[in-house]
Amino acid sequence: MPDAGARVRELRALESLAAGRTAVHRLHPLAKLVASLVFIVTVASYGRYDFIRAAPYLFYPFIMMALSESPYKLLLSRVLIALPFCLFAGITNAILDTTAAFTLGGVTVSLGIVSLATIMLKMYLCVMAALILVATTPLTELTAQLRRMRAPSVFVMVFEMTYRYVGVLLEEVRSMIIAYRLRSGKKKALEMKHMGSFAGHLLLRGFDRAERVHAAMCCRGYSLKHIPPARRRIKPSDIIVMLIVCVPSVLLRVVPLY
Amino acid sequence: MLRVSNLSVEYADGTRAIEDLSFSIEAGESVALIGANGAGKTTLLLAIVGVLPPIAGEISLHSSAAGPDEQKNAPAQAARGAVKPELVLTQRTGKDTLRELRARVGVVFQNPDDQLFMPGIYEDVAFGPRSFGIEEAETVQRVDAALSSLGIAHLADRSPLKLSGGEKRLAAIATVLAMKPDLLLFDEPTAYLDPRAKRNLAQIVSGLPQGKLIATHDMAFAAETCSRVLLIREGSVMEDGPRDILFNARKLEAAGL
Ligand SMILES: Nc1ncnc2c1ncn2[C@@H]1O[C@H](COP(=O)(O)OP(=O)(O)O)[C@@H](O)[C@H]1O
Ligand SMILES: [Mg+2]
Repeated sequence: MPDAGARVRELRALESLAAGRTAVHRLHPLAKLVASLVFIVTVASYGRYDFIRAAPYLFYPFIMMALSESPYKLLLSRVLIALPFCLFAGITNAILDTTAAFTLGGVTVSLGIVSLATIMLKMYLCVMAALILVATTPLTELTAQLRRMRAPSVFVMVFEMTYRYVGVLLEEVRSMIIAYRLRSGKKKALEMKHMGSFAGHLLLRGFDRAERVHAAMCCRGYSLKHIPPARRRIKPSDIIVMLIVCVPSVLLRVVPLY
Repeated sequence: MLRVSNLSVEYADGTRAIEDLSFSIEAGESVALIGANGAGKTTLLLAIVGVLPPIAGEISLHSSAAGPDEQKNAPAQAARGAVKPELVLTQRTGKDTLRELRARVGVVFQNPDDQLFMPGIYEDVAFGPRSFGIEEAETVQRVDAALSSLGIAHLADRSPLKLSGGEKRLAAIATVLAMKPDLLLFDEPTAYLDPRAKRNLAQIVSGLPQGKLIATHDMAFAAETCSRVLLIREGSVMEDGPRDILFNARKLEAAGL
């Protein structure tokens, strides 16, 4: 089993970034949400061989990370988790689609390779945009904004609970693994024969914790039905930043430059 | 200001954790809720704020004209026309009454890790006022007031994960104080604390003007912070009386302590 402690710290680290005070953090959540959505949808709408055309969008994550002072390594490590899935989806193309696309220094590059690269690029851009949004906006502000926009409450709740619950569950894993190791002598890994009861216990403990966290949230006014009022109005500067992201993104997509 | 009448609470699996329990708390009064493990202390606290619904009986919260908070804010409250109505919680109480009740009764959970769930302390303390729709300017003021009244203003930007047990406990109390409750419920506040942190906490809790119900089996802490004792066993009241009960070995033993 991987080091669960490290995973917890990583997750919390991403979460604690949202408490920052840079200009990006201070933007209105609506502006950030809309900008991120437009960016993601635009990028995702590129065709399977559009690598060159989608490449300029790489500026966005770099600029945003610089402005929000987000640690590049941390965000990148989260993107890497999604990488194997895309690789798997793209690799079949690379093998099957051997039509030559162009030659580079004498090596023929097939369309399959181009489509693999495009999938990876699109994935990287979309996940990065989502991560930057989460790393610069406290979760409660995001979900409050989603509710004000009348997003289906089930969707918002699943999002909220998954986010809370993963952390809670990982914390339980950590303390159970520590307790297990202390009693299991020098063996480091969890033995196969203990895996079943370990997982069962974990699930029950996780539910228990989640229930208490949920009760504590309810005691302080959390409820699904309640639509929280906006904490502040959207300002012209918020809208300008939003447009600075949205307009070039869409223009680049619609206007064929090359 | 709080009256619990013939309350019974059952868990989904049929465990009757509270059985025909009655007592009341006056404004500004501090009551120790003493009982062995499994006596029903946590269940009672959660039932008072409606997290666990009663299967019988009722809980009522009266507007406490003499309450310490009201006195201080009397002009402001009168200006807003905010005379708090009496709230009654029964089996059939609706969502709005529950929300109102939870704004007026604050619960400090046994484990601060369950209570602190935001990335930073400041955000966490602001969570309550924000979800109750308090304006941002007032929220900021409340958060600052709550943190500095507990002497932890310097922790505002820290993550709850990087605090000591004592600091976490104070932060959890701050999250509740920011909602300006009339009544505070504490679930084993001395759990996870070393002796020095316990003494510090006892002083702070004694200084809070609100009515208090403090579930604990720490007799020294109860003696220092409470004037009255509610001794419970298997979900029912065994003794309800002055602080002396804490020093009555026979009664404590009968309660399984
Ligand atoms: N979620 C639950 N489901 C079923 N029974 C429970 C649950 N939580 C507590 N109980 C039972 O209710 C009784 C009172 O528990 P609790 O209020 O936690 O006691 P205390 O806080 O005084 O230690 C105990 O018998 C306990 O086993
Ligand atoms: Mg308890």
